Amino acid sequence: MRSHTHRRLIALAVLALVTLALIPLSVGFGVRNLGWTNVLSALGRDQLGTTAHLVVWELRLPRTLAALICGGALGLAGALMQVLTRNPLADPGLLGVNGGAAMGVVLGIWGLGISSQTGLILPALGGAGVAAALVFLLGGTPRGQGPDPMRLILAGAAVSALFLALTWAILILSRESLDVYRFWVLGAFSDIRMADLLSLWPAFAIALPLAAAAALLLDPLTLGDDTARALGVRVGLARVITILAIVGLCGTTVSLAGPIAFIGLVVPHLIRPLSGADVRLLALGSFLAGALLAITADTLGRVLLPGREIEAGAMMALIGGPTLVLLVRLRRGVAL
Amino acid sequence: MTALTLRGFGLSARLPWRLIAVNAFLMVCVLTLAGLGLFRGAYPITSQDIWTTITGDSDPILSMIVLEYRLPRLATALGVGLALGLAGEMIQTLLRNPLASPDIIGFSAGASGGAVLSIVLLGSTAMVAPGALVGGLLAASLVLALSWRRGVSPGQLILTGIGIILTLGVMTDLMMTRLDTTSAADAVKWLVGSLAAPTWQEAGLLWVGLALLVPLALLHQFTLSRTALEEDLAVSLGMRVTRWRVMTLLLAVSLVALAVATTGPLPFVAFVAGPIAHGLNGAPRPSLVTAALVGAFVVLCADAASQSLPAALALPAGVFTALVGAPVLLTVLLMSAKRDRL
Repeated sequence: MRSHTHRRLIALAVLALVTLALIPLSVGFGVRNLGWTNVLSALGRDQLGTTAHLVVWELRLPRTLAALICGGALGLAGALMQVLTRNPLADPGLLGVNGGAAMGVVLGIWGLGISSQTGLILPALGGAGVAAALVFLLGGTPRGQGPDPMRLILAGAAVSALFLALTWAILILSRESLDVYRFWVLGAFSDIRMADLLSLWPAFAIALPLAAAAALLLDPLTLGDDTARALGVRVGLARVITILAIVGLCGTTVSLAGPIAFIGLVVPHLIRPLSGADVRLLALGSFLAGALLAITADTLGRVLLPGREIEAGAMMALIGGPTLVLLVRLRRGVAL
Repeated sequence: MTALTLRGFGLSARLPWRLIAVNAFLMVCVLTLAGLGLFRGAYPITSQDIWTTITGDSDPILSMIVLEYRLPRLATALGVGLALGLAGEMIQTLLRNPLASPDIIGFSAGASGGAVLSIVLLGSTAMVAPGALVGGLLAASLVLALSWRRGVSPGQLILTGIGIILTLGVMTDLMMTRLDTTSAADAVKWLVGSLAAPTWQEAGLLWVGLALLVPLALLHQFTLSRTALEEDLAVSLGMRVTRWRVMTLLLAVSLVALAVATTGPLPFVAFVAGPIAHGLNGAPRPSLVTAALVGAFVVLCADAASQSLPAALALPAGVFTALVGAPVLLTVLLMSAKRDRL
């Protein structure tokens, strides 16, 4: 039993090391071939004003950081969501944030005439917040038992569908919105600037510890509500904290990088064979694997086709979808 | 006495009164909506006009509007709604997952991909429906083939389905970014699904298909109820689980294929029909008839809503299926929550 846990921890450590090893690659490679010595020296302060310095600090580092944080956040949120709802089909966007953010973006383009990707962050954040609040109000009765996961996901699906239908309606009526939206919806880290990261880091700083707490609180819940209650867990509180963490992580990410459904839905399934039933390991592993997948997809999307980029969100699904199918096929412990 | 028991031919069936009442109520709603659909629209028509059309001595414009435009449209809406409701309930019962919908088999994702691909290749929307049908069938076969391992298990089907539909969805999104604005706008309209101007030929094909599939699906109800039990129990009761699963999948895919080929993918109908039906029936057991009626109700409502907008705001019915379905689902959820608290 003990050696089992050891092996799992080693696997997670390897995952972390691979992710760390990819960071320099992600900063080093790009459309403009800078050369490794230039990249290294550009990291220092003395190169201020040179092209290399500008490219590294303004374009590549924010991208790498955003991919790491957003990928990790989505993986973590996905793991929590699937444990919370006990449903392998639940992705964190199901709490309404993706539909709400899409609605916010389209309203921002249509109503306010915003056309830059950076300008869309605030409308997306607002939409995500409104939708999540609506799901929580409709789907949860926070008294006593806490929100019922089954009702929560149905309410989430209904609210998401409502917002997406309104989004489609605007898209059909306004071509300008469609023109911006069809690129936003793919999800990408390429347009994220240092300033965006700096303005949104407090959200991550609150949501990540909350998510860690949620993972610890949810662990006994896998034994069933009654057993958990008998062990002294406050089931309702645990669920509310989990929902807040998921909405925080996912809402911030979708406003930064667009809706990336893939990580939250698939990464937990990829990690489950490594982590077993332990929610804490599953959450940690999903965080690492999400970051790894995001940074790989972002870097590959940059270098795969010379001269044009494949959006990271698309790249992820193109890598991860077949991987998932293959793993299920080979049955390396991937099962529900 | 909470149920009606029917006996005959050595069989007996137990029908709770609530089930009968709910189905009757839904049936009345669906028929009323369909009837109203004849009168409403851009061209006002009175009951007198309908009567003269039936008896055959009305003016040609009127009879053309009723016979060539409104009737096929209503027939299509009704048929598509029934098909999607049935398919949704069957798949949700099969996979024991309220979040599942026939989409999980990949047909809808493949259909969208095929439709957009046909626009990318041809530059026009001429071959959209065949493209969608081929794409959908290919994707569904792919999911089934890849999840097959001496039978299909719900878990493998779900995971394989997720992998395939996400990949296909992203490919569709990528193709959308390669289109110019006009073609992209066309593609969006198709991707949402619409009930605009179906012909008698299309409606006829749909109903011929339904006449074949619906009786099979309803016969399936008996086995479906039994497999609401645990799988091991079902096996030990002598059920051939694999054969039954394949049968359910094929029926559901055929029903969805019929619907998608006629109207394009009307979102949310298949997903929402089951949970609404269960909420109304007050019992979590599979109820195909109720689900089918709910599906028809949602599509007819969406059609009425899309017709009642002024022409400048013309939106396809696919936008409204979610706008109608979501509030109904939410109301049913809130109602059942209130009941639980009592």
